[in-house]
Amino acid sequence: MKELVPDHQGMILVLMFIVGNTLVFPLGGLAGPDIWLAFLTATVLALPIILAMARVRSLMQGSTFFVGFERVLGKWPSRILAFLYGGFAWRLACYVVSDVSNFIQTVALPTTPPVVIATFLALLMLWAAKEGVEVLARFAVMVGKVVLAVLAIIFVLLLSQVDLGEFQPVLYNGFKPVLRGAFQILDFPFLETVVLFWVFDCFGRRVSPYKVFLPGFLAASLVLLIMVSTSLAVVGADRYALYYYPVWTAVGRINVSTFLTRLEAIVGVTFAIGSFVKMAVALLAASRCFAYAFGFSDYRFVVTPLAMGVIAGSRWFITTVLEVDQSAVETHSPDEIMFQVVIPLVVWAFAELKAKNGKANGSSQAGGGEEV
Amino acid sequence: MFVLVILVYGAVAALELWLWAERPWKKVLIYLLLTAAAAALASLIVVYGKLPVPEPIGFLGKLFKQWWQGGGKQ
Repeated sequence: MKELVPDHQGMILVLMFIVGNTLVFPLGGLAGPDIWLAFLTATVLALPIILAMARVRSLMQGSTFFVGFERVLGKWPSRILAFLYGGFAWRLACYVVSDVSNFIQTVALPTTPPVVIATFLALLMLWAAKEGVEVLARFAVMVGKVVLAVLAIIFVLLLSQVDLGEFQPVLYNGFKPVLRGAFQILDFPFLETVVLFWVFDCFGRRVSPYKVFLPGFLAASLVLLIMVSTSLAVVGADRYALYYYPVWTAVGRINVSTFLTRLEAIVGVTFAIGSFVKMAVALLAASRCFAYAFGFSDYRFVVTPLAMGVIAGSRWFITTVLEVDQSAVETHSPDEIMFQVVIPLVVWAFAELKAKNGKANGSSQAGGGEEV
Repeated sequence: MFVLVILVYGAVAALELWLWAERPWKKVLIYLLLTAAAAALASLIVVYGKLPVPEPIGFLGKLFKQWWQGGGKQ
């Protein structure tokens, strides 16, 4: 059964996936006061990958994802890739669950073991992943409005605490810190979008992948740029990279006539909602990939074992809040470069070649027909 | 604790398999394999605490770090 997601819902799903669990972390901290430049650089650098993914999906128009993918790469290469990306998506789900469980433990439930929180999160994402991408996209639209409204209100309230002098001097240490900050942002969260490539089953029209991936990515980039830059201007460029959760700290400083204070809990709620969408999408991608790699079109039967694996995996890859922070700010991990940059570009090149050969064969056949 | 983890994973798998309307052997096999892998990982973490994470292309990371000293980490 085809799972068709309307363009606008897909776009919001992309937006929520990228904003998801990233809001509270010190994204691009290495760029210092030039964080806004790092965001713009990262957006420009990520665009070719996003466009390549959209192009590959566009070339599969009319067929479900795995049928189209097999047409592009062949049966066994596409199964091997699906298996590898299944592992990548499963690891991402583990990371997100670990992020959230450590965050909840740090700010709200210090005596609760993270594995208990991870179990509840795994149950939730198991339920969401079993419902499929259509339900997830509709859920993303519903909660996306709430999250964006909350972020807009927080942004307005933060303006009273902002010190624009924190952004100066511009490029004091040259462009290298900007580039390093940009690589941080590319690694997490911008190019994690490759996981979404495997989630959407089919699109309505040929241009739909562009209408889903591009505006979703750009909107997410804008939201993160605004929130992160505002937080940096509140807490200061020096301290921004030192805090585990700088946005949380910045929002904690909101004080409207001593009447409206302690609003950081709202950020916690938006973080939890966004993370839920992201972990469910990652689990869904992992399930789809593994099921296909093992030769099944139905993926729902592998969701439960993978979700149970996430509970253990969330304590495998990352165990402490320090490791969460390191994973959020680390860059150029080779496996991530491989999965987020190299393989998508290789797949795109193959898809283009295949499309070109297909066109050439089609035109030569058509030409032959005319001669006869 | 180790036994408890295995029991819980086994119980969840048994319950879900019981709830399936049909049980094609291929699907059951894959399901059991993945559940066994998840249970093995959980029990290893319970027994050993911190497990090393495999890095199949970790040598590339070392190479990058040689090229760009101090880059990427705070």
